[in-house]
Amino acid sequence: MQWLLAAMIVVPLVGGIALSLIPVSLSRFVRPAALVLSGAVLAASAWLWYSFDATAGGMQFELNLPWIPGLNTAFHLGVDGLALPMVFLTALLTVLAVVASRSIDDRVGQYFTLLLMLEAGLMGVFVSLDLILFYLFWEVVLIPMYFLISIWGGANRSYAALKFFIYTLAGSLAMLGGIIALYLATGAKTFDMLQIAQQSAVLPRSVQIAIFIAIAVGLAVKVPIFPLHTWLPDAHVEAPTAVSVLLAGVLLKMGSYGFMRLGPTLLPEGFKALLPLLAILAVISIVYGAAVALMQTDMKKIVAYSSISHMGYVMLGIAAGTTAGFLGAQVQMFSHGLIAGLLFLLVGTVYERTHTREISAFGGIAKVVPILAGTMVFAAFASLGLPGMSGFIGEFMVIVGAIQPYTVYAVIAAFAVILTVGYLLWMVRRVAFGPLNKDRADMKDLTLSEGLSMAPLCLLIVFVGVYPQALIGVMSTSVEALARLVGR
Amino acid sequence: MTNLPVLAIIVLAPVVGALLIMAFGRGQIAPKAIALVAGTVSLTTSLWVFAVYDRAAAGYQFVTSVPWIPSIGVSFTLGVDGISAPMLVLTSLILFTGVLVSWNVTERPREYFALLLLLVTGVFGVFAAVDAFLLFFSYEMAVLPMYLLIAIWGSTRKDYSAMKLTLFLFAGSAMLILVLVLTYWAVGANTFDMRIWASHSFGAVFQKWVFLLTLIGFGTLIPIFPLHTWSPDGHVAAPTAVSMLHAGVLLKIGAYGLIRLGLVMFPLGWADWRMALALIGVINVVYGAFCAMSQTDLKYVIGYSSVSHMGYVILGLAMGDRFALTGAVFQMFAHGIMTGLFFALIGFIYEQTHTRVIADITGLMRRTPLVAACFVIAGASSMGLPSTAGFVAELLVYVGLVIQSPWLAAAAFIGVVVTAAYVLRMLSRILLGEPSAAVAPIHDAPPLRFVPMAILAGTIMLVGILPASLYTIITGSVMPIVTKLAGG
Amino acid sequence: MILVPASEYAYLLPEIIVALLGVLLIVADLIWPAYDEATGRSKTWPAYLAIVGLIAAAVAVVPLASVSKTLFNGIIQIDPLAAFFKLLFLGIGVLVILMSVNAVPKFTRWTAEFYALMVWTILGSMLLASAAELFTIFLSLQLTSLPLIVLVGYAKRDPRSGEAALKYLLLVLVSTSVLLYGMSLIYGALGTSTLSEIGAALAREKTINPIVAMGLVLLLTGFAFKITAAPFHYWVPDAYEGAPTPVTAFMSVGSKFAGFALALRVIVAAEAVPLNWHLIFGVIAAISMTLGNLGAIRQKNIKRMLAYSGIAQAGYLLVGVAAFSSWGIASLLFYTLAYGAANLAAFAVVIIVANAIKSEQIADYAGLSKRNPLLALALTIGLLSLAGFPLMAGFMAKFYVFLSAAQAGLIWLVAIGVINSVISAYYYLRVAFVMYVSEGPAEPMKIDPQAALALCVAIAGVLFLGIIPQAAMVAAARAAASLFGG
Repeated sequence: MQWLLAAMIVVPLVGGIALSLIPVSLSRFVRPAALVLSGAVLAASAWLWYSFDATAGGMQFELNLPWIPGLNTAFHLGVDGLALPMVFLTALLTVLAVVASRSIDDRVGQYFTLLLMLEAGLMGVFVSLDLILFYLFWEVVLIPMYFLISIWGGANRSYAALKFFIYTLAGSLAMLGGIIALYLATGAKTFDMLQIAQQSAVLPRSVQIAIFIAIAVGLAVKVPIFPLHTWLPDAHVEAPTAVSVLLAGVLLKMGSYGFMRLGPTLLPEGFKALLPLLAILAVISIVYGAAVALMQTDMKKIVAYSSISHMGYVMLGIAAGTTAGFLGAQVQMFSHGLIAGLLFLLVGTVYERTHTREISAFGGIAKVVPILAGTMVFAAFASLGLPGMSGFIGEFMVIVGAIQPYTVYAVIAAFAVILTVGYLLWMVRRVAFGPLNKDRADMKDLTLSEGLSMAPLCLLIVFVGVYPQALIGVMSTSVEALARLVGR
Repeated sequence: MTNLPVLAIIVLAPVVGALLIMAFGRGQIAPKAIALVAGTVSLTTSLWVFAVYDRAAAGYQFVTSVPWIPSIGVSFTLGVDGISAPMLVLTSLILFTGVLVSWNVTERPREYFALLLLLVTGVFGVFAAVDAFLLFFSYEMAVLPMYLLIAIWGSTRKDYSAMKLTLFLFAGSAMLILVLVLTYWAVGANTFDMRIWASHSFGAVFQKWVFLLTLIGFGTLIPIFPLHTWSPDGHVAAPTAVSMLHAGVLLKIGAYGLIRLGLVMFPLGWADWRMALALIGVINVVYGAFCAMSQTDLKYVIGYSSVSHMGYVILGLAMGDRFALTGAVFQMFAHGIMTGLFFALIGFIYEQTHTRVIADITGLMRRTPLVAACFVIAGASSMGLPSTAGFVAELLVYVGLVIQSPWLAAAAFIGVVVTAAYVLRMLSRILLGEPSAAVAPIHDAPPLRFVPMAILAGTIMLVGILPASLYTIITGSVMPIVTKLAGG
Repeated sequence: MILVPASEYAYLLPEIIVALLGVLLIVADLIWPAYDEATGRSKTWPAYLAIVGLIAAAVAVVPLASVSKTLFNGIIQIDPLAAFFKLLFLGIGVLVILMSVNAVPKFTRWTAEFYALMVWTILGSMLLASAAELFTIFLSLQLTSLPLIVLVGYAKRDPRSGEAALKYLLLVLVSTSVLLYGMSLIYGALGTSTLSEIGAALAREKTINPIVAMGLVLLLTGFAFKITAAPFHYWVPDAYEGAPTPVTAFMSVGSKFAGFALALRVIVAAEAVPLNWHLIFGVIAAISMTLGNLGAIRQKNIKRMLAYSGIAQAGYLLVGVAAFSSWGIASLLFYTLAYGAANLAAFAVVIIVANAIKSEQIADYAGLSKRNPLLALALTIGLLSLAGFPLMAGFMAKFYVFLSAAQAGLIWLVAIGVINSVISAYYYLRVAFVMYVSEGPAEPMKIDPQAALALCVAIAGVLFLGIIPQAAMVAAARAAASLFGG
C-alpha cells in the first residue's frame, strides 16, 4: 500500500493532463471524466482513513524513494493524524468542485486539467515528508490557481490573480530561504523532515528563530494572517465558484498545516519563541476579519473576510501550543473547509442565477427558493459556530487551548463571535427573509446536482459537530506528540 | 434504579421524531402525528422520572455517561436532580401541548414540526446535562430552530425579531463559553463534569468575575433588565407553539443555568453580586409590570409580564435561602405552565379573530366560555391568587425576601399590585361585555384545541392545590446549594 | 616553439569536426547552391548538414568527458568542465539551427553561409571552454564574436538588424580592447600567459600587485560584456531586438555561456588574489538581477523582454560564481542547462509565432491559447521555468544556486535573489496572462514543424531537469570538481 499516496498525487496529475487532450467535440465527457478521477482519489482517501491506525504514532503509508541523492532529498511521502483529515478534505472538496463546475463552457479540458493539477499539488503538500518536495508541491499549487482565476474569473480577474500570485510567491520564496538555511544549519545535510526533526532541536535558539521567521512568512501569507491577508478577498471575489471552494476550503489550510507540520518538530525553540507574536496576529485576524466582513455588501466578500476571521481561530489554537489548542486548530481547519466550501457553493449558485452578489439585490428569497435559503441559513449558523455543527467544536477547543497561555486573547476571541453572528445574520436576514425583492420572484431553487454537491458538506458539518471524536480520534495521537514537543 | 437510559429516551425522542418527520413527513397529518408521538414519549417518560425520583436521596439520579470528546474531557453525561426533574416535566408538557395547538399550521408543516422537535431536544439537553459542555451545547443548539421558526412562521416584524433574538443570545453565549473555558482551566481536571466542578473551590477573585460573566450570559436569557428587550419582540413575532416554548421553557434555561453554573460553582461570587441581582430582580418585577400595563397587544402584555414574573425568579436566586430558592424554581415551573397557557389562548383567539389588540376583543365569555375559563385560571396564577401554582411560588419567594430584606419585599410588592391591575384590566376587557365585531362570529375551542388548554390549566390548579410533591423534590436538591451559599 | 606530438590533436577532434563542418557547408553550397534562383526558394539541406555535423562533434566529445589533460604546453585544457561546456554549446547549436530551418530563408538567401557562421561561432565557444592561456582565450573569443557580428546584421533588409550589428561591433571592439589591455598588464607583471602559471604566481605573491589587480579587473570587465552582466548590459536589448531571432536565440544562451566558460578558468586562477571575490561577484549579480528584472517589466516586445530577462538570469548565474566553491560552480553549470533549455523553448515559440503572424509584440500573443493551446502551454512552461517554478528546470536551478550561495554565507544575496524572483514572476506571467486571458484572433496558427521539434526537445529538457535532475547534477558536480583540480 505504500504506493497509494503516490497514486493519489499522480492519478489526478496525469489524468488531468490527459483531459486537456480530449478534443473539443467531445468536451461534454470532460466533466464526467474529471469526476471519475477525483472520485477515485476520494475513494482512496476514504480507504486511507479506514485503514489508518489511529493509535499508532508516527507516519503511516510511507513511501521513500531516492530522488536527488546529491542533495539528500527524497520522494518521501507519508500521512499521520495531522495530514489525514486534510487529505480527505482535499479529495472531498475537489469532487464537489468538479460537480460545481457545471457552468464552465470555455476551454473545458484545460479547466479540469488545472483543477486536478491543483488537487495533485494540494495532496502533495499534505503528504510530503521532504522539505523540497513540500516546497515543490507548495509552488505547484500556485500555477493552476493563477490560471484558474485569471482565465475563468470575474471582471477584475487579472489584478486579483496577479496579486494572489505575487503575494504567495513572495511568501513562499521566503520560506524557501528558510528551508535552505535549515538544511545548511543542521549537520545532517538532508531535507528529510523526519531526520531533521531529530537533529534540529540542538540548533541554537537564535538560529531557530531566524529560520522559523523566514518559513513562517511563507506560511502566514497562505493562511492568511493579518496583515498579509489582502490578496484573499480579491482572489475570492474574482475566482469561479469551484475555485473559491478549493481556495477557502483547502488552500488556506496549507499555511496552518505548515505551521503544525514544520514548527514543533523541525524548529521547536523558534516555534515557541514566535508563538506570542502569532497569538496577537491571530486575534487581530479574528477581530479584523469579522469587523471588515460586517461592512461588506458583496456576499462573496463577506464569506472571504469571514475566512480570515475563522483562520484566525486556527492560528490562535496553534499559537496556544497546547494539545487542546492544536486539536482545536485541526478541527477548525477541517470544519472551516467544509463550511467555507458550502458557503462558496451557495454564493456561487446564487450568482449563477442572478448574476449579482450584492446583498441589496436580494430579499425574501426564502419564499421562492426555500431549499437554497434554508441551506444558506444552515451554513451561516454553522459558520457562526452553532453547537451541533463542526465550527463550534473547533472554536471551542481553540478557546479551551488558548485560555491558559493567552487568557486575554481567548476572551477577545470568544467575544468576536458576536461580530460573526452580526455579519452572517445580517446577510441572511437581508437575503433570505424580509419582503421579497421583485427581481427575484422567478428564481429557481436548487437543482438535484447542486443539492448533491452540498449535501455531503451539510452532513459532515453536523456529523463532526455531534460526534467530533470521529475526527479527533484520528489525529489525537499525532497532535499530542506535537504538543509534547512544545511542552506547554 | 434502572438500567434503562431513560433520560436519553427523553432527550432523543424528539430528535428521532424530527428525523422521522424529515424522512416520512409528507402531507399535513404525518408530521403532526409523529411530533405528537415523540411528545407523548417524552412526556410519559419525564413524568415517570418525576414520579420515581428518589426524593430522600436527592442529588443526580438516572445518570448515564458516554465519552464524547475525550481529548478535552467532554462526556455525554445525563442526569436529573430535584431542580431539573420539574423542568423536564415542564418542557415535555409544553411540547405536548405545543404540538396540539399547532395542529392548524398549514405552511410547511414538515419543516415546522421537525424544527420544533429539534428546539425541544436542545432544551431537554440543557435540563438533563451533567456535563457543562453538553449543557451549553444543547442550549445553543436550540437557537437555530428558534431563529428559523420565528423568521419563517412568525408574524409582526419577524425577521427583525429573529435576528435580534439570535444576536442577544449569541452575545450571552460568548460570555458562557468563557465561563466554561475559564472554569475548566481553573479546575484543571480535564473534565466538564459539573459534579467535579462543584466540589472544587475557586479563588475569590476568580469567583467574583466569572460569576459576573455567568450572570450576564444567562441573564440575557432570563431576561434580566436591561438585557430584556429581545424577549417581548421575540414572543410577539413567534408562532404560538414557539411563543409557548420560548416564554414557557427557554427563559427558564437562563435561570436554570445561573443556578447550575453560577450559584453552585461560585458561592463567593454570588455573595459579591447578590444585592445587584436582587435590585435587578425588583426592577424586573416592577418595570415589567408597568410595561405590561401600557401594552395594547395581548402578546406584548404577556411578553412583558414574563419579564416581570421572571423577576421573582431572580429575586429568589438573589436571596438564596431555602424558601426563596425553592420558590424561584417553583416559579420557573409555575410561570412556564401559566405563560404557556396564555400563549395557547392568545394563539387561539388570534387565529379566530386575526387581531390581538385588546380594544378589538370583548365579550369572549359569551362566545367562548371554555377559553374564558382558562383565561381566568391563567390570570389568577399570574396575579398569584391562592390555589394556583403562581401563589405558592410567589409566596415562597416573598417569605425569603421578607426574612432577609423587608425593603426589597416592599418594593417588589408594587409589582404585585400593578400585576393585579393589568391582569384584571385585560381580563375584564376581553372577557366581559358584549362581543365585539371581531369576536361575534367565533366559536369556542373544539376538543382538539381545548385539550392542551385544559391540561395546562389543570396543571396550574393541581400544583396550586397540591404543591407538596413538587415542593419536596425541589427542596431536596436546593438544600445543598443553600448550605453552600450560606458558607457551609 | 616546442614541437607537440601529433597525438595531442586527437583530443581536439570535436573542434576539428566543427571547423571542417563550416568549410564543408561553404564548399558544398558552391557546388550545389542552396538557393534556387529559378524558384526563389532556399533548400534546407545546409541546416540538416550542420545539425548532423554538430551531433557528430558531440559524439566525439563524449569519450573526452572523463579525461583530464593539458595539451600544447598548457594552452588547451581538456577536462570534464570543457566537455560539459562543449556538449552544451553543441546542443544549443543543434536546437537553434533546428528552429531556424524555416526562419532563416525569410530574411536571407545566403542560408549556407548563415549556418557556416553559426558553426564557427560555436567552434569559438568550444575552444573557449578549453582555452587555458590568455592569447588562446583572446583568439577563441574573437572567433566567437566576429561571426556573430555578421550574423546580427544578417537581415540586410531590416534596418534594425544593421543598427544592431553596428552596436554589437562597437561592443566587441570595446570589450576586446579592454580584455587585451588587461591581458597585457597581467602578462607584463607576471611574465607568463598560461593560466596555471598565473595562478601559481599569484599564489606565491600573497600581496596584491596593483598592476595585476588592474589587469584582472579589466579582464573581468571584458567578460562582463560577454555575459551581459550589469553594468555592461546596455547593449543587450537593442542587439537582441534587432538581430534575426535565431541569432538572438543563440546569443542569449550560447554566447553568454561562452563568457562563463572562460571566466571560470580565469577566476579559479585568480582565486589566490586576496580580493573579496564573494562580494565583487555578489554585487555584480545583485545589480544584474535587479536591473534586468526592472527593465523587463516595461517591455512590449517579447525579444526585448527576453533580453532583459537574460540580464537578470546572468545575475543568477553569477550568484553561483559568487559562492566561489565547487558546489557553487556546479550549481552554475546546472543553471546553464536549465536556463538554456527554458530560454530556447521560449525563443522557439517566438520564432514560430513570428513566422506565422509576423509580430514580436507581446500584445499580439493575445488569444494564443485558443489559436494553439499546446504552443501557449509550451511558452508558459518555458516562462514559468525562467521564473523558477517547481516541476521545471528553473526551480531546481535557482534552488541549487541559492543553496550554494547560502552555504557560502551569502544570505543577503539569496534574499535579493528571492525578491527578484517575485519581480520576474510578474512579467513572465504577464505574457501568460495575455495568451490565456486577453481576447485575440481565434483562427488556428500555422506551426513550423522543425521549430516545433526543437521546442519539444527544449520542453522535454525543462521538465526532465525539473523532475529528475539527478543525472545532470552529477555531471555538473563532476565538471565543477575538475575545475578545482578534483
